[in-house]
Amino acid sequence: MIAKTIKKIELLWFHYLLNLLLLIFAVFMVLPFVWMFSTSLRLPIESFTLPPQWIPQKVTFENYTRVFTLVPFFDFFWNSLFVASVTTAGQLLTCSLAAYSFARLHFPGKNFVFILLMSSLMVPGYMTIVPVFAIIRFLNLADTLWALIFPALTSAFGIFLLRQFFMTIPLDLEDAARIDGANPFQIYTHVMLPLGMPALSVLAIFTFNGNWNDFFRPLIFLKTWTKFTLPLGLVTLRGVEGTGSVSVVMAGVTLSVIPVLIIFLIAQRYLIEGITLTGLKG
Amino acid sequence: MDQTSLAAKPLPRKVKTMNRMRVEEAIWAWAFIFPSVVGLMIFTIIPIFSTFILSAFSWDFLTPPEFIGIKNFQRLLTDTRLMTGFVVTATYVIAHVVLTALLGLILALAVTRKISNFLRSSLRAAYFFPVIVSTASVAIIWTYLYHQELGIINYYLGELGIQRIPWLNSSNWALWSVIIMSVWKSVGFNFVLFVAGLQNIPREYYEAAEIDGAGYWSQFFYITVPLLSPTVLFILIMGLIGSFQVFDAPYIMTTGGPGDATRTVGIFIYEHGLRFLRMGYASTIALVLFSIIMVLTILQFTFSKKWVVY
Repeated sequence: MIAKTIKKIELLWFHYLLNLLLLIFAVFMVLPFVWMFSTSLRLPIESFTLPPQWIPQKVTFENYTRVFTLVPFFDFFWNSLFVASVTTAGQLLTCSLAAYSFARLHFPGKNFVFILLMSSLMVPGYMTIVPVFAIIRFLNLADTLWALIFPALTSAFGIFLLRQFFMTIPLDLEDAARIDGANPFQIYTHVMLPLGMPALSVLAIFTFNGNWNDFFRPLIFLKTWTKFTLPLGLVTLRGVEGTGSVSVVMAGVTLSVIPVLIIFLIAQRYLIEGITLTGLKG
Repeated sequence: MDQTSLAAKPLPRKVKTMNRMRVEEAIWAWAFIFPSVVGLMIFTIIPIFSTFILSAFSWDFLTPPEFIGIKNFQRLLTDTRLMTGFVVTATYVIAHVVLTALLGLILALAVTRKISNFLRSSLRAAYFFPVIVSTASVAIIWTYLYHQELGIINYYLGELGIQRIPWLNSSNWALWSVIIMSVWKSVGFNFVLFVAGLQNIPREYYEAAEIDGAGYWSQFFYITVPLLSPTVLFILIMGLIGSFQVFDAPYIMTTGGPGDATRTVGIFIYEHGLRFLRMGYASTIALVLFSIIMVLTILQFTFSKKWVVY
């Protein structure tokens, strides 16, 4: 009896210790962002004072206004929003149409085309960047946002993800629509799209986030400041400010992190479901 | 239903013959896949084949490409800087994949207990948030955190009595600084996958084992490990493919330096191909990198038959 109680107390003690360790780790995960935000509010002279002032003595928002005068920050923001929105809309349309075709329709050459498209899933971006660069130059798209948009208007990953989901939708609904004389396009708009919403939102979040965060392709294709997207713009801002004022750089970084935080808080569930969905299916 | 029996009776006007329906369906289907096929052909599939072809050419984009056979490959084999690039990349890949997998697993095991939903979701949010923030943002933040004299990491290490570490300034430390940052950024991804994998293991297995008197560790090795092995395989393969291409973090934090200490193969491809316009040579490097990733992925799948339980 006593031995059992001791074991129980030991277990409880272990339970709380583990919670404490997990919380400490969580604090370490968040600290860089706290430092980012607190530095962005400091007077530029105090941005590097040690010991670090986690709560600034004098709060200033001047760093935020300086971001906009130093670099065309509003352009960066707008460009990122434009590229991410157009590519997301594009992928939702092209991938869902193709996925419906591959999941439900019969047509000659289906397997061959599907395997051909899926083989590009395994190919890393660097493998193709040199020819893609050449194609973009050939199409006269270099230094325009379309250089980022056109290659990202469809994706093998999106087709695969949606196809897997569409295949789980019961056939009955479709048959009923077919008997009523619906053509494949009407079935797509009236059955597949409404029922495919969970998978479509996962794809939307992945695509938006991926294009919003992309650094490599903007670095390659863009030259003019006013056409930069946020990640490239931030690196430019750091170059302009250097170690002059970390606070201004951090104000810029904060401005770029806030929309991500908002999306995260709204769509966290979809994001995590999406990752586990692709993880467990893969 | 075959056509002769259908044709025998007079058809209502709306019913179409099977043949016509099939043709119509095929037309719809091709129209639906058309945009994706065109996009993927132009921007992925044709470029894949072009990379193979370009590796046999010398091309600076301004003058017509010149066929040089295997000279690019010969050059690659004697390119000692690039060889260090492969070593740097391999170090990064191994450290990144192993550390994110181990840490993600430990955290997931620690969270998969009876804990309050609020605590669970707060922890998950904290661990996962860096995953979706752009590498550019966090790389810039960490560059300042790592600052040798003024960074807060060295300040707090100093408080603990540890000497200042020349994080990004020393060729011994720079790569590890990048690795620590990228492990911090992506551990939450593996954590989420492991938690899902652990939750998929039926409770009954553990209950049965408990009745049989199995302790924590034997439950861990005989139930958790085998049933989690498909998740482990997925994480290893995705981690390998992703981290072999590492570019953003080292490029933003050190532009490959000091010296070549953090110059990954990705940075070499970028510099040769897109800065110095050596398109043929850059394609050759890309091709070799791709072959390595391919071979390692196939090996992982082959060996997985020995340890993954489905």
